[in-house]
Amino acid sequence: MGSVKFQARLLALVLLLLGVGSILYQVVVQHVPLSQDEKDPVWVIDAQVGFSAKPNKPVKVRMFVPPLGSGFTTLNESFISNNYGVNVNEEKGNRQVTWSSRRAEGRQFLYYRLMLTHRYAPTREVEPGPQFRQAPNLEGPERLAAEALLEPIRQHSADVETFISETIKRVNELENDNAQLLLGSDVSALNRARVVDLLLGLSHIPVEPVHTLRLMESQEQEPELWLRSYNGREWLYYNPVNGQQGLPDDRLVWWRGWEPLMKVDGGKSADMVFSVHRNEMSALQLAQTLRLKDASSFIDFSLYELPLPAQQLYRTLIMIPIGVILVLLMRSLVGMETLGTFTPVLIALAFRETQVIYGVMLFIFITALGLSLRSYLEHLKLQLLPRLSVVLTFVVIVMALMSLLGYKLGIGSGLSVGLFPMVVLTMVIERTSIVWEERGGSQSLKVGLSTLFVAVLSHLLMVWQPLTYFVFTFPGVLLCVASFMVMMGHYRGYRLTELVRFRAMVDGDKH
Amino acid sequence: MLWSKTRKALRARGVMGINQRNGDYILRYNKRSLYPLVDDKLKTKKMAIEAGIRVPELYGSIRTEQGISTLRKVVDTHRDFVIKPAQGAGGDGIMVIADRFEHYFRSASGRIITQDELEHHISGILSGIYSLGGHRDEALIEYRVRSTELFNRISYEGVPDIRIIVLKGYPVAAMLRLPTRQSQGKANLHQGAIGVGLDLSTGVTLGGTWHNQRIERHPDTANAVAGLTVPDWEDCLALAARCYDLTGLGYLGVDLVMDRDHGPMMLELNARPGLNIQIAMDDGLLRRCSIVEKRLEALKGEDRPAAERVEFSKQQFAVAGVVPVAAEQQP
Repeated sequence: MGSVKFQARLLALVLLLLGVGSILYQVVVQHVPLSQDEKDPVWVIDAQVGFSAKPNKPVKVRMFVPPLGSGFTTLNESFISNNYGVNVNEEKGNRQVTWSSRRAEGRQFLYYRLMLTHRYAPTREVEPGPQFRQAPNLEGPERLAAEALLEPIRQHSADVETFISETIKRVNELENDNAQLLLGSDVSALNRARVVDLLLGLSHIPVEPVHTLRLMESQEQEPELWLRSYNGREWLYYNPVNGQQGLPDDRLVWWRGWEPLMKVDGGKSADMVFSVHRNEMSALQLAQTLRLKDASSFIDFSLYELPLPAQQLYRTLIMIPIGVILVLLMRSLVGMETLGTFTPVLIALAFRETQVIYGVMLFIFITALGLSLRSYLEHLKLQLLPRLSVVLTFVVIVMALMSLLGYKLGIGSGLSVGLFPMVVLTMVIERTSIVWEERGGSQSLKVGLSTLFVAVLSHLLMVWQPLTYFVFTFPGVLLCVASFMVMMGHYRGYRLTELVRFRAMVDGDKH
Repeated sequence: MLWSKTRKALRARGVMGINQRNGDYILRYNKRSLYPLVDDKLKTKKMAIEAGIRVPELYGSIRTEQGISTLRKVVDTHRDFVIKPAQGAGGDGIMVIADRFEHYFRSASGRIITQDELEHHISGILSGIYSLGGHRDEALIEYRVRSTELFNRISYEGVPDIRIIVLKGYPVAAMLRLPTRQSQGKANLHQGAIGVGLDLSTGVTLGGTWHNQRIERHPDTANAVAGLTVPDWEDCLALAARCYDLTGLGYLGVDLVMDRDHGPMMLELNARPGLNIQIAMDDGLLRRCSIVEKRLEALKGEDRPAAERVEFSKQQFAVAGVVPVAAEQQP
């Protein structure tokens, strides 16, 4: 017995761990939304390229666009242009779009739109970068200035990481003569980054610039420049202007390298405007959108993959164990008596079709009618089986009459009772009559009402939207439920009603 | 919490709950395949007769609708008899005929019953209204037990019976069930009968329980229920203990009746006996069962003869300070 108990506990534990584990996996790794209302920000980035076409010359515009799948999920990407050929190619980790046209006239506008979200982003492997580089050749005063700057940097740094931040700090000390010499009159972020790169190059440390866009509502935005260096395990990001380390989450890497964002052949006075909008989208809807795009999302291998009618069915079926566990609690912990073990769950399912208030009324009315008919028929000394059959036939007739009456009165839709509630009601009447025969009217009333009570409760539980969503989305819940059921199998404690029942034995102690 | 206080107090008194009874006793000691032996009273009776255990004499049984016509022949030679369903539970469907009156029968409560009514009742039994799960059933016609004078004083109509809980052949608890006006002459607690605890060593009645409350007197006869001695108590215990050997059911409720002429008889067996006996005895079943289980452990599962088991129980479950009422009060 002891070992059996141990086995049961082990089984319950395994079920619980599997259940909780699968839920955690879905939440933490697959980012499945915990509730149906969960919303995710969706970023819409519009890039507008404008230029004036030179007459009688072919036009070719090249622009960098973000690489796909770098910490974000791309929902949609579009290139909008009139009479331009569009071509996207990838090289050295950058993506570049090329718009081309034989000829164009006047001011031209090209648009690029990208929709992004953080959720369901595939975690990409970090591609390694160089860790050593050849020192550039530097002559004359620049060399001297650079050496002068590098000397204190070497002293104040412990490793590559601190070396880089120290270098950025020194270059940004604009009153420093050496820094001034190297920067010249240009103190733009790009130039500062170039000088940082130069100094680091002399120390054989490779860095590369990355151009990022900030994900915040804005009408106009300039790409922000960052530097990054590979330390053997990961990329370290630095802000070349203030030395800040680590790329904030709201930065999207657009392209990298020293090349400019855009090159326009056959055009002049080109400009470029970025605007960013934030939209909200239900996380669930997002997942469904992604599935259509065949992107990876949690929908793979989940019940959402079923065809819609099957999904609808499983939304109901999967809640049955939840109703069952309620019945289990009511019987084993509270000590309520119900007609048959799982009849309340069946009645609860029937309430889905009849609506709960109407269902309860129907239940009481029809059962009362059936039982009074039954007692009259008993008076006629009919045998059990014919008696039950007559009762059931009458129930069907009464229900048909009620539906007809309701239809004539225009209550219509509320009175449409499906086949399933009919069968359940019939069964309830049969069981109630049996209890009536065996235990008498008051007992059957008591049992009938407690059955109804449990049925209403389990119906409310089974149609509670947040719960149905949760159980349907995380079927691991069912394993936890099963684990609880196994544990209940060894519950030996008192039922709540027994505390009342045996109270006389305890009260006796006090006297 | 109020609840947890009650729970602790009940636990301390060794009160058994339904969950525990189902899980630790019925599930553990009663093999499911043995249930039909006790669920069918005809089978129980036949088995008991073979083993030499006293039971009310079987006059006949009816199994089919056509068989109902043989009723007249079966009861022809008897003025009184009982009709009951073989698979009934909780005393439902039992009809007691106490006398005959020309072509009519008279029930124990004095109601006149026609032959037709009797046949309709049997037909109801056959169709299974009284059997668990509504299976087809069989009607038994048997000897009507006549209550002793002593019991008549503390019961209303009907015949009181004695329920003894037997664990692995050891009687652990006993009570007398007294019919009341409310229970309509039936000895079933949930129908309003009174349960009166019995001292296992002497068969002396203790306090009573009625609807889960403790009582001192019979509500219909107003006689005190405590302090009477059940006659032939030794026989009752021996009978109950042997029912374990008879069925192999480890946790068993044995129902006995005391007949005026024939002494104690085994009426029926129950594989899922109720828990109200605890209130009647004012003692927890769990406490008593664990004493027997300790003994079983010490014996390493070795079976002992019934007489020895009864001795053990009498010694263990005697209630101190029980004094039978003075002899002149007893008939």
